[in-house]
Amino acid sequence: MNGKERILKALAVGQADRVPLYIHGINEAPIIGIGRHITEGLPEVKDFRKMNDAEKFKMLDTLFLIHETFEVDGFSAFEIGHETALDDQYIKDEFGVVYALSDFGLPVAKGHPVKEASDLARYAPPAPDRGHLLLLDLARDRFKGEKALFWLMRGTFVRCWRLMGMENMMLKMFDDPQFVHQVARMTLDYSLAQLDLLADAGLDVLVIEDDIADKNFPLISPAQFLEFVNFYNRRIVEAAHQKGLKVVRHSDGNLWPLLDILLDSGYDGLNPLEPQAGMALAKVKAYCGDRLCLLGNIDCIDLLPNGTPQEVDAAVSQAILDGGKGGGLIICSSNSLHPGVDPDNCIAMFEATRKYGCYDTLSQP
Amino acid sequence: MILNRILETLQTGDVKQIAKLIGQALDSGMTPEKVLSQGLIAGMDVVGQKFQTGEIYIPHMLLAARAMHAALGILKPLLAESGNAPAGRVVLGTVQGDHHDIGKNLVSTMLEGKGFEVIDVGIDALPEKFVAAVDETVQIVAMSALLSTTAPFMGKTIEALERAGVRKHVRIMAGGGAVTQAFADSIGADAYGADAAAAALLAMALVSHAKESR
Repeated sequence: MNGKERILKALAVGQADRVPLYIHGINEAPIIGIGRHITEGLPEVKDFRKMNDAEKFKMLDTLFLIHETFEVDGFSAFEIGHETALDDQYIKDEFGVVYALSDFGLPVAKGHPVKEASDLARYAPPAPDRGHLLLLDLARDRFKGEKALFWLMRGTFVRCWRLMGMENMMLKMFDDPQFVHQVARMTLDYSLAQLDLLADAGLDVLVIEDDIADKNFPLISPAQFLEFVNFYNRRIVEAAHQKGLKVVRHSDGNLWPLLDILLDSGYDGLNPLEPQAGMALAKVKAYCGDRLCLLGNIDCIDLLPNGTPQEVDAAVSQAILDGGKGGGLIICSSNSLHPGVDPDNCIAMFEATRKYGCYDTLSQP
Repeated sequence: MILNRILETLQTGDVKQIAKLIGQALDSGMTPEKVLSQGLIAGMDVVGQKFQTGEIYIPHMLLAARAMHAALGILKPLLAESGNAPAGRVVLGTVQGDHHDIGKNLVSTMLEGKGFEVIDVGIDALPEKFVAAVDETVQIVAMSALLSTTAPFMGKTIEALERAGVRKHVRIMAGGGAVTQAFADSIGADAYGADAAAAALLAMALVSHAKESR
């Protein structure tokens, strides 16, 4: 089987020849740190936006090379070119949301263009730009069907709170629910239009990235989730399925209070299963491993930054034992490979997946 | 009883109604201290307990916080006139490199709900900013970090407090998405708050313990 076949088999809750490997997201620092093991001429660690064209090209090539060298079975693509630099510290996206750049993680949304219902009258929502799918095009041309192509699409909650401000959105659910629905509907229209472009571009797997929980609880109540978020995300799932795509739900945090809702929403996979948030792989597998594929769970909070390669090796072995039986497991980290992870530990995770993931070996007594 | 109505209204977040009820309580001769302790603080205790057990979620906390702030806006000038001392003074902030503020703001509200005065140094706060906010009236420094990449700045902040010679005068609390009890222990924090309600309870315990130790 090739990587694409392996991923699609697992997402169908089936058993491939081996447990597939996937990188959900990866920052500049680990690309460079891992990349230094397999190529030369990499730039110093800095924000991708601040790299020159030659450095950007080298970074993308290295990202592809990492997937090839370590036999990562799926590739995550995401929008490129949708942001405008306002100055050295701030950028703005196609929705008009302003973000503060950070040396320590993803940009943080700080400026919200649609705070009140009255703002909607003046607000012109963007249309998806085919040019922003460049990374998907490059990956499709590079991997030529050998690897599954994933797309990271922001979900309804994230798109809405970035437009409205999170605290404001949460209060508007009480004060002006109709306004929240209007904004959610607007983001849905965008997502569905972008989905058309993605399907035409050869996408295999849509990832709805919609962080909705912290390590203790969901950020909003299950009732609010059903009304303001899941109703709209479900429309995206249905549309993606109609186009023959698989759909993975990504959310950080403790999803147990929402899990039954997610299971009823038709997702093919669930990611990233944070161990610190109670999403123990064996427990999730026992609860719903026959209904959807599980992607993730290799701890990126403590283990990948601070552990040893031997400890990572053991964690991957345990994860495959806990979640691999009968298929429906894809190994990846419990969130993105962020700037704090140790590149050697990432490589240990890749290699251990190959070492322990063969189903012929797994099925032996 | 009007204090019960204040307690219940706080949970629904009805700003106009809570202002009206506080006015009625004060007009009836009730002291601002009693309205604060038996109405608002008691109400926030209920909110905190419900949050910790998953009965309510962050939006409901924000709703209560909005009502709490409106109520404190009425009571604070009266409490100052009567010379009422706060339960304690807390320097609170999200550490360097981290721009997340909802968790910090919820902690602030819960602390105020326990009668603390909060000196909020904001988000992306350099260690020096925490140090500058600490004076002899401050009992607690509370730090928040959502990102595992920024949590190490909690340790840097503690080091800065030590260098400034004020570490031994304050108790240090750590919390946020990236923080665990083990991490808090490893950087030398005095306490770890798993959520906003827990942080407020810890602050009460730390201040109480400090008073008993004198």
